[in-house]
Amino acid sequence: MNEAILELKTQIIEVLNLEDICPEDIDENAPLFGGGLGLDSIDALELIVLMEKNYGIKLQDPAEGKAAFKSVSVMADYIEKNRTK
Amino acid sequence: MEIACSINITPNKVVINGKDVNYTERGEELLTAIYRRQINDYPKFFKMDSLSRLGFVASELLLNGEPDRFKPREDRAIVFFNTNSSLCNDENYQKTIQDKNNYFPSPAIFVYTLPNIVTGEIAIRNKYYGETSFYVLDRLDIESMEQIINDTFQDLTTKSVLGGWLDCKDKDHFEAHLFLIKDQKTSKLPNWNKIIINKIIYNKQ
Repeated sequence: MNEAILELKTQIIEVLNLEDICPEDIDENAPLFGGGLGLDSIDALELIVLMEKNYGIKLQDPAEGKAAFKSVSVMADYIEKNRTK
Repeated sequence: MEIACSINITPNKVVINGKDVNYTERGEELLTAIYRRQINDYPKFFKMDSLSRLGFVASELLLNGEPDRFKPREDRAIVFFNTNSSLCNDENYQKTIQDKNNYFPSPAIFVYTLPNIVTGEIAIRNKYYGETSFYVLDRLDIESMEQIINDTFQDLTTKSVLGGWLDCKDKDHFEAHLFLIKDQKTSKLPNWNKIIINKIIYNKQ
């Protein structure tokens, strides 16, 4: 697992209060939503806040957000290409 | 009507139907310990604010073992009372918007900035589709509690009420005094009034 993926998984676990889940439990290529993590719409909003707070990325187009949150690896890739901090 | 069961949870003590339950944990850790030992199948617990965690674990212990526990029903109402509303969580939310240079309102915290969210959490968990309400009083007013709960039984649907006092000042100062009241048509004498509530709240059973 590369460092960026590990860092992102750790942040997701923390902001979404995913108790009893460790980074190794999350398949970076599996769908973030509709999968085993049981994430809901409020979690999606928290991820939008995470992107802005930690990486300076403002997601304003819902379609863009849906694509960016497809999986952890897609999200990490999106962050790498769009981060401002 | 009669009280079928009751529970008291304070930072230092858990009492179910008048009997102490042994926990060594205190404060916020007590609620997590109850969840881990007695429930442990509802990860959403960890996303809840302190008031909802308190109401959730209290209701779980109270309802544990009830026949047809998760069968959908409309005949059970949830009626809670407190004085601090959702203040504990409101303060947490305030911290996310306090600094204009670090202004990141948390959606997950925001959704708990109403006290009645806990009644929804319990209703969703137990598949209750009946009345839910949360009254914020200026003090622990047992007469008002009795009146409001009795009024709840006046509709044609409600046959039982999960009710009581559920207050959380902060993560280490809270109290839950909940009870399940059933409308027993066969009861000859009403076993339910403000005196009974008083005994439950002050644990004088």
